[in-house]
Amino acid sequence: MVTVEEIEHVSKLMKINVDDHSEYLEKVQTMISYFDILDSAGVESEEISMPEIPIEQLRNDEHIPFGDKLIEKMNHYKGTFVRAPKM
Amino acid sequence: MNLKISALEFIEEAKNGNISVEEFVSTTLERINSVDDKLHAFLSVNDNVIEQAHNIDKKIKSGEKVGDCFGMPISIKDNMCIKDTKTTCASKMLENFVAPYDATVISKLKKQDAIFIGKVNMDEFAMGLTTEFSAFGPSKNPWNIEHVPGGSSGGSAVSVSSYECIASLGSDTGGSVRNPASFCSTVGYKPTYGLISRFGLISYANSIEQIGPLTRTVKDTAFMLNLIAGVDPNDNTTVNNNNENYLENIDSGIEGKKIGIITEMVGDGIDPEVMTATKEAISKLEGLGATCEEVSLEMVKYSVAAYYTITATEAGSNLARYDNLRYGYEMPVEGYEFNSYISKARKKFGPEVTRRMIIGGFVPSAGHAGKYFLKAMKVKSKLTKEINEAFKKFDLLIAPTVPILPFKIGEKIDDPVSLFLVDINTVTANLTGKPAISIPFKIVNGLPIGIQLMANSMNDKMLLQAAHALEKSVTLPEVPI
Amino acid sequence: MTKIGLEIHCQLTNLESKLFCSCKANYREFEPNENICPVCAGMPGSLPRLNQEAVKKATIISMALNCSTPEKIAFFRKNYFYPDLPKNFQITQLNIYGDTSVGGSGIITVGDKKIRITRIQLEEDPGRLIYEGSSSKNQITLVDYNRAGTPLVEIVTEPDFETPKEVRDFLNILSDLLKNLGVADPSLEGAMRADANVSIEGGNKVEIKNIGSFHDLEKAAHFEITRQESLHDRDIAIVQETRHWDDRRKITVSSRSKEEDLDYRYFLEGDIPWVKINPEIKTELKSKMPESISSKKERYVTKYQIPEQVADVLSSDKFYSDLFEESHSESNAKEVANIITTELMGLEDTREKRESSKLTATHLKDLADAIQSGKVSRNSSKNALHEILKTGKTVSQIISELDLGNVSDESELLKIIEKIISDESEAVDQAKSNPQTINYLVGKVMQATKGKADPTLTLNLLKKQIGI
Repeated sequence: MVTVEEIEHVSKLMKINVDDHSEYLEKVQTMISYFDILDSAGVESEEISMPEIPIEQLRNDEHIPFGDKLIEKMNHYKGTFVRAPKM
Repeated sequence: MNLKISALEFIEEAKNGNISVEEFVSTTLERINSVDDKLHAFLSVNDNVIEQAHNIDKKIKSGEKVGDCFGMPISIKDNMCIKDTKTTCASKMLENFVAPYDATVISKLKKQDAIFIGKVNMDEFAMGLTTEFSAFGPSKNPWNIEHVPGGSSGGSAVSVSSYECIASLGSDTGGSVRNPASFCSTVGYKPTYGLISRFGLISYANSIEQIGPLTRTVKDTAFMLNLIAGVDPNDNTTVNNNNENYLENIDSGIEGKKIGIITEMVGDGIDPEVMTATKEAISKLEGLGATCEEVSLEMVKYSVAAYYTITATEAGSNLARYDNLRYGYEMPVEGYEFNSYISKARKKFGPEVTRRMIIGGFVPSAGHAGKYFLKAMKVKSKLTKEINEAFKKFDLLIAPTVPILPFKIGEKIDDPVSLFLVDINTVTANLTGKPAISIPFKIVNGLPIGIQLMANSMNDKMLLQAAHALEKSVTLPEVPI
Repeated sequence: MTKIGLEIHCQLTNLESKLFCSCKANYREFEPNENICPVCAGMPGSLPRLNQEAVKKATIISMALNCSTPEKIAFFRKNYFYPDLPKNFQITQLNIYGDTSVGGSGIITVGDKKIRITRIQLEEDPGRLIYEGSSSKNQITLVDYNRAGTPLVEIVTEPDFETPKEVRDFLNILSDLLKNLGVADPSLEGAMRADANVSIEGGNKVEIKNIGSFHDLEKAAHFEITRQESLHDRDIAIVQETRHWDDRRKITVSSRSKEEDLDYRYFLEGDIPWVKINPEIKTELKSKMPESISSKKERYVTKYQIPEQVADVLSSDKFYSDLFEESHSESNAKEVANIITTELMGLEDTREKRESSKLTATHLKDLADAIQSGKVSRNSSKNALHEILKTGKTVSQIISELDLGNVSDESELLKIIEKIISDESEAVDQAKSNPQTINYLVGKVMQATKGKADPTLTLNLLKKQIGI
């Protein structure tokens, strides 16, 4: 069983400020508990596979500028910077 | 002006000058005005389309070349980017986000003179299967507005089934096109993974989701697929379909086809009405010359847990970019430290998205990946092997799209695990990358039931032929709105 | 025993476009956020489009460092929040499902020492941050995403270094190697950065990040070893941690980052399928790989009898060895090598000087030929080279304009020699008894002709006039 403390820790990791902890956390706990069913799937020996692409099909190395001034469509500040809080 | 025509009928009429595109589009806007207060399919309606329609009429009259859509009004799920148009993902987090570019499907349809009549409702960031998790309020099922329309592409299904547009594009991560299609009695299609470019589709779980059309008929879906499928240099996961014409030979029928009935999808938890409908569908297919037989896919039992583990993990990562720095809503950064700022800014996410992101942080984390995420990935692999094995014996697989009938708004919203199980029949196609379609089959007590057919990867054309055969075998009542 | 391991980040500066989009790889010439598109700015709905050439260049690096190269490479997401990271994850490589990073384990030789490479990965560079505001209250961060998505290779070594000097030697060799491969110019600002992990006998491993230059890397390693040794001497445990290099104070400082920030939740990047690199492609890449520095050096020594030391300097510099290849002939190779290493490299010791220099391979060839044929003395050739760099005029033009040509006219030279013989009768007598001292007189002739007298002709004429 996943503890509420573990879930709280993860919400910090995910940068989510959860006001009403109990309401969120209990539901999350229920959902994660359901995943325990995976333990009985017996898939330990399976390999993970992914689609493939031959290198020849990848894009050529060309510089093509984005037509518009993207920064003008973003939150910008002091000319063309993006503003972030202090670190 | 009859709005209840199919895409192919519309195109035929428009091409021949029998209907005015401008009139059709303005009547469609009137229809939206009159019914959408009740249904809430649309998040934004594009009022500037009349001029576009007018110009298409002019081109038709003067014999100029017109794109294949002839001004057909289409609605777009609000997680696809249309340049200079709001794209909200039904989230407060992106309430004011204006897309700076066109999704590939949008630019393809623009070239074919499609008219984007509006952006439609969805569960926030496509996380849900009822459209109740939209930050801007739920959509309603036009067959009975007390019921959910399904989701997450609820707005797409509602807009097509209630004649607010001719066709719609939705996205399907675990059934998000097929589920609302089934609940609203439209055709809903999830193609082979990679058949349609995802460039410009705002990612929820990118390794398994696809854009898919929702239409009135299977033929319309084939027509849409002809326009939007194929390799896109902007999406490395797209596959070459050799410019397949999906409409050609759509009448081929299903004689001699072998169809597997997936045991795990017609067992416990299935509504008796849905079971009856499924049996009827099977006998119709047999009547058309197919042979049907049960086949077991053992991993289906674990598919929903695997699906939620994988989607939450990818969502946790895909939604990390919403930190309100580059785009988002007004919230000054002064006086905050980075972590406290973004943790506060991200409170605009709704409860379901928040829950799934927390899960998405948990299941792949250092201490838990082995128990959850890796196992889920392995279930995905094994399920794929099982279904590939099944396709050695069968041409198609059948199951009801959703094991239950459309339920009431609010009925399951507080019970996440019972909601999980509504996805049991749809997630397999996503986890394995196979094409799947939901075909309207029956109306029981005023509520729709859809039947799902699945085929092997890249057998989309054969799947559409089979779906068309099944569709032709039934006549359904009209939507009561 | 001290153990030092490195993680070296090197931008593939010779590429045209970024790793996952078509914005320019060389971000240095732009106004802030001018070199961005929806992909590298992490706009919703955008997808990475992998640069084929980046994969090839990273593969070439892996081959040059004797690393294994897998049949398929995979990309992973490294998840963490930071404002320079537009998606709040970095697309990188890892070997959790078998060897799927662009380079596997390998070896590079530094002097007598073998340094083991753990792996080489291809990844994207983040944007750049500028901190603004003085008081804690008004402090903010300005972000420029021009650099975001620039292709990087990360070279991870085993902790095989024992001294900071070995680290420096390795980095010099690596830097020359990357330049020689034509994949990067490590001298560009920010193009090559490194993190180090340092441990002493019986102590935990300490990571040092944020080291701006190789020079500082050596210093940081020195500082860290001293710090750890002094802790050890006082029986204080060395904690396993990440420390930052404080560039201003030249010390390492413990980072405040908590453990929770270090869970990167690595998982496969679904937007990029596994990339298959078949053996034919690898063979082709290998065949197109430039000659290695060591084989170049050997060739210079054995084929042209260029001295070891000159060959060493010449072969490890890509720019000048390319120039050498272009300008030398069978007969003048030694002379060309000599001009490059003793004169030219000193005259062009900065990027600016090199870029403004008007010298071409033809100049170099002509100058070496002129020296060998006696048209210009080695001494005067220095002035000619200066002029070439400045004006780009032809060698013959410069020799005549600056009157640098050798005095080889016998009658003219004879006049000068006769005058010297009469002025230096004592030296003439000495030369008669001891012929070796004739060099003094040769020197006098040179002086009188400002070094332009043909040395052989001078000697012969002198001998004849004195009668020895």
